[in-house]
Amino acid sequence: MRIPPLVAVTCALAVCMLTGCKSLPGYPKHEWQPPQDQMNFHALYKQNCAACHGETGQGGMAIPLANPEFQALVDDQTLQQIISGGMPGTMMTAFAEKDGGTLTDPQVNAIIAGMRKEWAKPNAFGGMTPPAYEQPATGGDAEKGRQDYITYCVSCHEGPHDSITNSSFLALISNQALRTIIIAGRPDLGQPDWRNDKPGHPLTDQEVTDIVTYLGSLRVASPGQPYPSHP
Amino acid sequence: MRRLKDLKKVYDWVEMRVGFEKPVKEAALHPVPKNTASWWYVFGSAAFTLLMLQVFTGILLALVYVPSAGQAWQSLNFLNHNLTLGWYIRAVHGWGSNFMVAVVLIHMCQVFLFGAYKYPRELTWMVGVILLLLTLGMAFTGQVLRFDQDAYWGLGIGAMITSRVPIIGGQLVHLLLGGPIIGGATLSRFFVMHVFIIPALLLGLAGLHVWMVLKLGINEWPMPGRAVRRETYLEEYHKLTHEDGVPFVPVALWKDIVFSSGVILAVLVCAAIFGPQGPGGIANPTYIHTEPKPDFFFLWIYTSLAFLPPWMETPLLIIGPPIIILALLGLPLVASEGEKSWHRRPVALLTVMLLAVGWGALTDLGTYTPWSPHMNAWSSDTLKPEQVKALSPLERQGAIVFQDKQCRNCHEIDGHGGMRGPALDDVATTMTYSQLIRQVLQGGGNMPAYGKNLSPPEVDAVVAFLETLHKPGQKPAVNESNQWVKQFESKNTAPVPFQAAPPVGNGGNPAPENAAGTAPTSGSPPAPKKPTSVAMSMAPAK
Repeated sequence: MRIPPLVAVTCALAVCMLTGCKSLPGYPKHEWQPPQDQMNFHALYKQNCAACHGETGQGGMAIPLANPEFQALVDDQTLQQIISGGMPGTMMTAFAEKDGGTLTDPQVNAIIAGMRKEWAKPNAFGGMTPPAYEQPATGGDAEKGRQDYITYCVSCHEGPHDSITNSSFLALISNQALRTIIIAGRPDLGQPDWRNDKPGHPLTDQEVTDIVTYLGSLRVASPGQPYPSHP
Repeated sequence: MRRLKDLKKVYDWVEMRVGFEKPVKEAALHPVPKNTASWWYVFGSAAFTLLMLQVFTGILLALVYVPSAGQAWQSLNFLNHNLTLGWYIRAVHGWGSNFMVAVVLIHMCQVFLFGAYKYPRELTWMVGVILLLLTLGMAFTGQVLRFDQDAYWGLGIGAMITSRVPIIGGQLVHLLLGGPIIGGATLSRFFVMHVFIIPALLLGLAGLHVWMVLKLGINEWPMPGRAVRRETYLEEYHKLTHEDGVPFVPVALWKDIVFSSGVILAVLVCAAIFGPQGPGGIANPTYIHTEPKPDFFFLWIYTSLAFLPPWMETPLLIIGPPIIILALLGLPLVASEGEKSWHRRPVALLTVMLLAVGWGALTDLGTYTPWSPHMNAWSSDTLKPEQVKALSPLERQGAIVFQDKQCRNCHEIDGHGGMRGPALDDVATTMTYSQLIRQVLQGGGNMPAYGKNLSPPEVDAVVAFLETLHKPGQKPAVNESNQWVKQFESKNTAPVPFQAAPPVGNGGNPAPENAAGTAPTSGSPPAPKKPTSVAMSMAPAK
């Protein structure tokens, strides 16, 4: 028996509707909810973090969060402080309501918990102890740092395109941010972590401190003047 | 057999009392001009079929919908997520409404182009115009019943338009909203209009419309040169139908049935694929992260209002609609005789084309909102990882400045971002380094000046990033004259003649203009400065 196409399509649609209507493309996915009630990590991340830290936690302009080493290096309390209140000396702004952002404290915690769940891995450092997270305010030696910079960094940061000694660049990034990147690396850009800048010679805590001190010493009083000869 | 006989008995018993058979048979078998059994004559019946679909799905929805300001939104979510196929009924009703507006408009254009409004069908057209207004009324009131942010702001705009009516504006708003503000009474009012008043009028007038079509006969296929004359038309039509006519059933009807079925199927498929409309965010004016928009049939009004200069708003809003409605109603009275064929009515044809293009263009413009920034773009719209990877450290910081200072809220990159300002995908090819700096610092062309909001390194970085925005094979724009200035300064002599220009051999690098903040070009890194309070500070000057 030949079934007319119209009848066939209608029957198929009807069967589809009655059996798996929730899998149809038109099924409304999420119920709208007030912004402050949103606790889904992926939604919160997309809304607030993705632009700078990348759609998937990496491949963004700012430090990748989907890096197990970063996750292992920075503790919850520090993350909480940075997300809520921003990071001084960088463009990481404050996201907490109390600091002028839009996120509630539970939402900040949901983001941290989500990052840990998605991106943290056990034994991220392969049994090694990384340099301390925090860059000490004093105790760094800029001249030694310059030597270490030549040893560990210059091979990649030699050309003008890869320069990190540019005054504008240094004005927009804090010593702490530089230190975090040196230790955890930027796997999404191919920058190694502190163990692999020079294979077989992991940077010591003091060397990291010195390199950061050196880079900090290159900052100028009035950076980013495009026409220095015409003040 | 016996059963059939029993059924026949019941039928005869009812028929003897109601007497439907004769008029129905007459209506079904009445002759229509042969060439009207065409695919061009199917839109009216499709509109009526859609009306029936809307009534049916509307009744199902009304069983669950709660017309109160506190619960309307929740009841729609209940339909969407907690009732089997509840979302689908909503989707069919919503898409049925879209299709109905579209089919009614197409029907109207067809009738206009075929001259079917001329003698003796003037009243049929006028009733049709009222049916169009009622259909739009249904669409608007239905949109309000969603009581989400779109509905809330749509109502607000409707109320503001109404309030501009001279003298009685205030009273009209009160009548529309059931009070001075949008509240519970507003929703009740719109529910009554959507469920009782307008449908009653719509069904009654649609019946009258169909009745007149049957009584006066379907408009014959317009032939160039066969003009309508009051004195002779009825006789000519009678002759046409009886000499060259075919019975309406089944010769003409099957096309109506096929087309209407196709339209219903299209509604069902659209509903299954695209789903119901909303409800969006709950109606609450304190949520600022919202971009309320009307449904597609009112987008053209939304766009017009956005583009109109303020002084034109009131005259156009108050005078425009009555003029359009009066023109439509008065059309058959003014042009009740003469040519029907569009071949001999260039003005009519051009009018339809102009309106269609205008409507389409305004609707298309309304689907995006170049006049309002995307408030979330700065924190949620990303760049492609490969694009980020190709940037230098400074350019990457510049890209962060671009996001952090919310440039993205107004400027698109790679199809994401606001459309308030121009897309910046190849801004480097249209502006030089210095022009970009000037634009960022001083603004201009609707862009605010950001000179006071950005530190020099931020400007340096963001412009370095903007300089990377060009297509792969293209070079950023450079100011050729800079080559001359540099040459002049280095030689300290008069500029060399134009024809002796050195080739622009910098590989598209904006370096000739970028005199500061550049990286050292040699492999040797700079020596550290003597530690000073500024140089060693943890937080560099911003």
